[in-house]
Amino acid sequence: MQTTLDLDSIRAEFPILGRMLPNGKQLVYFDNAATSQKPMCVIEAMSRYYKEYNSNAHRANHTLADEATTALEGARNSISRFFGTSPKQMIYTSGATEAINLVAYGWARANLSKDEVVVLTEMEHHADIVPWQELSKEKGIEVRYVPIDLHSFTLDMDAFEIAVQGASLVCVVHTSNVLGIRNPIERIVELSHASGARVLVDCAQGAPHELINFDSSKIDFAAISAHKMGGPTGIGCLLAKLDAMGQMRPFLTGGSMIKKVSTEGSTFQEGHAMFETGTPRIAEAIGWGEAVEWLDQFDMSEIHSHVNSLASLAAERMGEIEGITVFGDPTRNDSSGAVSFLHDSIQSQDLSLLLDEGGFAVRTGHHCAQPLMDAMGVPSTNRASFWIYNTPEEVHSFTRHLYEVVSRFS
Amino acid sequence: MREGGDWPDHLDSIVTEFSECFDSMERYELLFQYANSHPSPLPQEDWNEENQVHGCQSRAHIECSLDEKGGFILSGGADAQIVQGLMAITSIAVNGMQPKEVGKMEPHFADAMGIRSALTPSRANGFLNMFNRVRDEAIKMEAN
Repeated sequence: MQTTLDLDSIRAEFPILGRMLPNGKQLVYFDNAATSQKPMCVIEAMSRYYKEYNSNAHRANHTLADEATTALEGARNSISRFFGTSPKQMIYTSGATEAINLVAYGWARANLSKDEVVVLTEMEHHADIVPWQELSKEKGIEVRYVPIDLHSFTLDMDAFEIAVQGASLVCVVHTSNVLGIRNPIERIVELSHASGARVLVDCAQGAPHELINFDSSKIDFAAISAHKMGGPTGIGCLLAKLDAMGQMRPFLTGGSMIKKVSTEGSTFQEGHAMFETGTPRIAEAIGWGEAVEWLDQFDMSEIHSHVNSLASLAAERMGEIEGITVFGDPTRNDSSGAVSFLHDSIQSQDLSLLLDEGGFAVRTGHHCAQPLMDAMGVPSTNRASFWIYNTPEEVHSFTRHLYEVVSRFS
Repeated sequence: MREGGDWPDHLDSIVTEFSECFDSMERYELLFQYANSHPSPLPQEDWNEENQVHGCQSRAHIECSLDEKGGFILSGGADAQIVQGLMAITSIAVNGMQPKEVGKMEPHFADAMGIRSALTPSRANGFLNMFNRVRDEAIKMEAN
């Protein structure tokens, strides 16, 4: 399908895409599910902060501090507006991992008791598994895992309907970082709330491809990462409904988040400020704010259609190469730009290095989703993942090189 | 051993063989050939948790021992052919050497061979993890 996105203009905003690698090959970047590249406006906004008004935020009265604070809070306004919610419901974190940990140690630790149930899925990233396993050891909560349907590689919703009964919290990935499958979040939220459970959605992979409207989605908590959607690394947020935020206790404490500290004890700020301690990631927040303003010029459904068509093209072409298995169905309309694959005789790490020799950056490994790998019966996969600036020509070039590698090394 | 302790002289011909390859793909083809002619392979049935070299992207297992003359022996196996090939060349390098000499080796021969991916500092780098473990084992043997 022909995209209406002006790919030449978009690519011109990402200077790294013109890079030649040390072996003389042109970079083709297909590791977007790990991190996306950054448009010039993001790089320049962060650079401008350091060059012109670097200062700590929320602390001093001088001009630079005012400018830094205004930019930090301006970014919060832009980001929360992009996600369809109020800045009051947004807590800056270091990324989606810290956001999930904030729900585990800020909300669940304070609100769940022994034997209460947290529902996870086999599709979760380790970031949405390990905190719950650790909390289970500490509090005695029960963790239930919803399996995937091994025929369709989608979530087994019949099993979900059983698992959610009596649960207090459901944690689910919006879009699988391995399979690119988008889960039926609306149905999950409906079933979870009907069972009295709050819902945490890991939106790290979904946010770059789909407009997530937090308020209308009725999700209780959303964990979001900036660096997969054109923003810098080291920043993300937790979106939390105000009533859920009101039940949270801080798990990181120190400067900034307090009202008053004395030798007798401390009182804390209210709202999101209670959970943002220490010097904020000011440059990173400014960069992320710029990234969402940049993304806002596009129709997100157009981005989704584009990456979906690239994934479909890649999966179809790769399926024609002998020995290649593509996992799941990247041609589905709700798939989101990640294609996991393996060759039957070329080990995944070898394959990724041989693809790198052609200039193609793909990911290899368990993708921090070992329970999903176990369910799929493989230790690792190769993964090509696409974003707004990738082109059909790059996909054709990639599949030609893959064919050559398979011909020479299998 | 070269001055500076980089790699033993008998690896020179292998380093030259690789450096004379037409391009990187030809180098990898040659490395796959070495993977299939490991001088002291560790059979897959002997791969276990204890001898596993931990790295995110591939499985690699090594066992270090001494021959009857006190020479170092490196047995190994990996599921990735590139790691297995580098492991085979490392075995060619260290087998028969005194542990003290093995403990001083640096992995620069991989760089000289033109296998640049072997020396990236990634935690997932199977070759580097393997090489560091070989060196640690040799230092331990020497201390004993």
